[in-house]
Amino acid sequence: MTVSAALMGSLLGAVVLAGAALAEPVEERAQPCAACHGENSIPQQKTVPVIWGQGQGYLYLQLRDYKSGARKNDIMTPLAQTLERDDMLALALYFSQKRWPNLQQPPAPPDVAARATRANVAIGCTGCHQGQYQGEGTQPRLAGQTREYLQQSMLDFRNRTRGNNPGMTDLMLAISEDDIAACAEYLAGLRLEGSPR
Amino acid sequence: MIAIRSALAIASAVALAGAAAAQEVKQAPKAAAAPGLTPSNVTQQMLDGAANDRNNFLHTNGDYTQKRFHPANQINAGNVRRLHPAWIFQTEVKESMETSPIVVNGVMYVTTSFSQVYALNAATGEQLWQYKHPLGPITTYCCGPNNRGVAVYEDKVYLATLDAKLVALDAKTGSKVWQSDVGDPELGYSETMAPTVVKGKVLVGTNGGEYGIRGFVKAYDAKDGKLLWTFNTIPDNSVGVWAEKDATGRDMHRNIQAEKDQLAKTGDPYKTLGGGVWQNPAVDLATNRIYFVVGNPSPDLDGSLRPGDNLYTDSLVSLDLETGRYVCHFQYIAHDVWDLDAVSPPVLVDARDKTGKVIPAVIHGGKTGHVYVHDRKDCSLIRFSDPMVKQENMWVLPTPEGARMLPGANGGVEWSPMTVNPQLGVTYAINLHQPMTYHVQSSPYPNGKLWLGGAFKVIPTEEQSGNITAVDYNTGKIRWQVKTPQPMIGGILSTAGGVVFAGEANGRFRAYDANNGNVLWSFNAGAGVNAPPSSYMVGGKQYIVVAAGGNVQIDSKRGNNIIAFTLD
Repeated sequence: MTVSAALMGSLLGAVVLAGAALAEPVEERAQPCAACHGENSIPQQKTVPVIWGQGQGYLYLQLRDYKSGARKNDIMTPLAQTLERDDMLALALYFSQKRWPNLQQPPAPPDVAARATRANVAIGCTGCHQGQYQGEGTQPRLAGQTREYLQQSMLDFRNRTRGNNPGMTDLMLAISEDDIAACAEYLAGLRLEGSPR
Repeated sequence: MIAIRSALAIASAVALAGAAAAQEVKQAPKAAAAPGLTPSNVTQQMLDGAANDRNNFLHTNGDYTQKRFHPANQINAGNVRRLHPAWIFQTEVKESMETSPIVVNGVMYVTTSFSQVYALNAATGEQLWQYKHPLGPITTYCCGPNNRGVAVYEDKVYLATLDAKLVALDAKTGSKVWQSDVGDPELGYSETMAPTVVKGKVLVGTNGGEYGIRGFVKAYDAKDGKLLWTFNTIPDNSVGVWAEKDATGRDMHRNIQAEKDQLAKTGDPYKTLGGGVWQNPAVDLATNRIYFVVGNPSPDLDGSLRPGDNLYTDSLVSLDLETGRYVCHFQYIAHDVWDLDAVSPPVLVDARDKTGKVIPAVIHGGKTGHVYVHDRKDCSLIRFSDPMVKQENMWVLPTPEGARMLPGANGGVEWSPMTVNPQLGVTYAINLHQPMTYHVQSSPYPNGKLWLGGAFKVIPTEEQSGNITAVDYNTGKIRWQVKTPQPMIGGILSTAGGVVFAGEANGRFRAYDANNGNVLWSFNAGAGVNAPPSSYMVGGKQYIVVAAGGNVQIDSKRGNNIIAFTLD
């Protein structure tokens, strides 16, 4: 993730100010998030996740974990320091009610999809992420997430760079890096049944 | 940790209130659709006599003994081939269904994933009301947003929810009467079980064995939801006797010295040791005692962080109903590192002891593939059955690379309730055969996040299957076994008509001859039939009912149907 120090500085400033103004509507408090996660649902970079339409519980837990240090990120960690639990829940609710974007990622070819499906049989991804990988509550939606972010996240769990869910680390260690690449491609290309997204 | 928890608890009260307001409660009470059909009061006398009640199905597992044996015999081995759908009801939620339909004088109560309840006309399938529980933002669960049904008592319907609440609904309208917090979902607590109601108390356990909870069974006042007692399934001293062998006498390869060293270093791990209870207790009305099984220790596969026997995980436990005080326990696997825990609800039977005398007994179908038979008086083990599934390489310890062992971590018998035909002295269990490798990884307690301590990995190249097995609990011998093409999860029902009903992941719902396992009837429901069937009578007609909604754990095809069957 390459974001200039200047951008980081301005982001931090904006959020600190937002934190100071408690009465500020959530729309305004969410404004700085657009710098990375996109003005209109589509992230600026492929390694940045879609948060529009993501589950409230999941988004809240990530903000909580950035604040506690359980999850680390040069941009998100300082941003989360300015938020209290109610702020986190409000921001999480705000983004969860937005529409998940269609990133136009192609469906995975059959051999890749088959490999991803085998990985699911082996470790049971859908046990938490739901049958269409649509997520729910504190379990994130994976269907239609950016391929690069998915792959990086799974690898980060695997090599313990991302430490806020050791259960995911365990599961990612039980499959191979090639399986992870297949899963990322497959999940990125999924659309929800009966939904254009 | 205690300070952090307190702070979170205070903050969560505020936040959850806000979140609940953000999600509209969509109760849809409609006028009773069928003339004269009004939900009836359920008396304790009705609940006590459920085993002989042909018209109703009043408990998740049939009656307080949990035999799931329905006394009606209009549908029987001679005519079950004529069984056909009477009606199909489609729920709004197309996701894993594990509900046991409850039927009270022509009204049926069923639940769906995400803790929704429907009241239906049991003769027609017409909807009377629906309750959509407004789930809070934090729900933590490992194996699907399941719900296994409701309990009924007097004028209320009781539901335990995914966000760890106990809710009492008005049986006539579906509107909420009271709600109590059972646990904090942010710390890994959730509810999927149907409550049990007995003598004015509502009993619930908790999920969370994969999240480092401290398990419990709680009793609430049925009238107002006030907490009456709590039994911690993990005692303050969870160390036990350093058992080296399992219930069947096999060596579990524990490194006792390493565990003792760890205990000296980090102390008793009881605060995060798991021990969920997510299936119903059996109730012995004569002695006023309850019997339930306690699930796995946390983290599942990594024993290095939790020295000792990890009492009372993987155990049968009995309590005094009035006070919640401990009476006895029996641990099947001490210091489990395979998640081969105890989940299928215990069943009270009269069985022969070792001398041949018939005594009050309690049986449990294990993930290990054995049916265990205990003396109800002191929980001691009388016998265990022949294995119902292949057992290989037990008890090899999990490794980082993965060690193959059978059964896989789902069993044997998973949460699926068994059924008992007391006339034949036989219990019927459904089983899984899922070859797996067991992997261990160590990480510290992650504050309510998934904490497996490794992974169970299905071996994709090995064939999976299931079976229905009839076991003579007086001898432990297998009477008959029928193999199915896919692993079986869901439940089973037997009836006085000499028939056993069970569903499969491929959508098949079948009737078997209770005597020999011959297939007498088959129906394809179009989605996984992974829920326990019920039976009841309305207007002189017997019905069999089952949910076909698929299952998360074995990833069978999802659906949203409640299907009731009857004869011509």
